[in-house]
Amino acid sequence: MGGNFPALLVQLQADLPSLISALGETVLLSVIITINGLIGGLLVFYLTLSNSGVVRKIINGYISIFIGTPLIVFLFLLYYGLPTIGIRLSPFVIAVFGFFLNVSAYNARFLVTAYKGLLPTELEAAKAQGFSRGQIFRLVTAPQVLRLAAPALASQAIQNTKDSSIVFLIQYTEFFAGMQEIAMRSFLFFETYFVTALVYLLLVSVIVLAMRRLERRFTIPGLS
Amino acid sequence: MALLEVRNLVKTFGTKTVLDGVTFDLEEGQTKVIMGPSGCGKSTLLRCLNRLEEPTSGSVRFDGKEMTAPTADVRALRQLIGFVFQNFALYRHLTVLDNVTLALRQLKKMPAALAEERALHELARMDMAEKRDAYPASLSGGQSQRVAIARALAMEPRVLFFDEPTSALDPVMAREVVTLINRLYLENVTILCVTHDLYLAQYISDSIIFLDQGKVRAEDKAENLLSGHADPVIASFFGRKS
Ligand SMILES: Nc1ncnc2c1ncn2[C@@H]1O[C@H](COP(=O)(O)OP(=O)(O)OP(=O)(O)O)[C@@H](O)[C@H]1O
Ligand SMILES: [Mg+2]
Repeated sequence: MGGNFPALLVQLQADLPSLISALGETVLLSVIITINGLIGGLLVFYLTLSNSGVVRKIINGYISIFIGTPLIVFLFLLYYGLPTIGIRLSPFVIAVFGFFLNVSAYNARFLVTAYKGLLPTELEAAKAQGFSRGQIFRLVTAPQVLRLAAPALASQAIQNTKDSSIVFLIQYTEFFAGMQEIAMRSFLFFETYFVTALVYLLLVSVIVLAMRRLERRFTIPGLS
Repeated sequence: MALLEVRNLVKTFGTKTVLDGVTFDLEEGQTKVIMGPSGCGKSTLLRCLNRLEEPTSGSVRFDGKEMTAPTADVRALRQLIGFVFQNFALYRHLTVLDNVTLALRQLKKMPAALAEERALHELARMDMAEKRDAYPASLSGGQSQRVAIARALAMEPRVLFFDEPTSALDPVMAREVVTLINRLYLENVTILCVTHDLYLAQYISDSIIFLDQGKVRAEDKAENLLSGHADPVIASFFGRKS
């Protein structure tokens, strides 16, 4: 085997500027998805604590729907379906919006699970001190569930980076789309996808390292 | 006018009547202990007083304000009541110091430096200042309870509620905590304390409220209740204990 990597190198060099910008798109998309997903996840989780049974039902329905359907179906619905009723959104907007709804649902579920690990008397103590519901959420619940759910949230961040590659299916030119094009043009399939895999692995490694640093910074004894 | 005036307080859970017309007063500077058989409604009573639990009927006047009125600013009133729980209930994600300063900074809007100064003062009072940077997980039960008391005191409450502050502690630690609560008693801190601990009851109370099946069965000084009471229920309760 061995593969014709020198030939691929020539291709990569020729396409370098566009590949770099495509890689930039992947990183940008992953970062946006991850941050939006955390904010959305916290928001959805907050709503699951609502006093209103109707709100809780709606939110649980939303979580079930997005966890129960493949994201690509939703992205296609927006990309190919919406124009039939006259709404045309850019692939970027669809990607950000679609992932936002999807990842928020997953993260919310992680936070809901972590919430079961909180101690009811601790929340009660906060209430007895005179804190409002919002303050209790911000000052006690959120800092604790985020820590308890950290491993799940971190693996979701890794998932986001890998999953962002599916947006090439809605004509969004991120890194995978760029490499895909090179593969098609050069017929160096093995070499191209091999290098593609390595680049994703590298991105994921960066995330893993970042997570470790965050973990060291934020871990608290007795809360994990 | 007493600081806390409880009148005819009733609490039912479904068909079960847990508090059945509780009436008593707590004067400023006074310390009362609530005792009674397990399940007689002691915790429920404390929790109704600051509306962690909604009373079914009756009235709770605190500092002249009706706590149960629909217009009552419950959160403002709660800030005047320091609540110490059996299981300490420290915020696990915060250091000892931050546990004490949190409400000062967030509720009293105290500048950080001032809050820290206040907190350290209260921690020192509870002999816990040297643990300021420790997290709750690394504290013993007795240490945790002392931090919880400091957290309550820091808010300069009008009254301290204790719900069995020593029952999760081993005897040695329990004694330590009793000693500290006794110190507060001698400083005329207003205290309402639920306990099964006779030792605590004798050392910190002006009088004991004996609760039975949701009713105040007797209220009297410790020495009158503890030995040879005329009421057989009370006599047998304390007979069993001592
Ligand atoms: N939220 C609730 N729903 C239903 N019943 C409750 C609730 N809280 C308390 N009870 C019942 O009310 C009764 C009194 O409970 P409470 O905890 O006030 O008793 P207690 O005197 O503090 O007992 P202990 O000495 O064991 O702490 C018990 O029978 C308990 O089962
Ligand atoms: Mg109790």
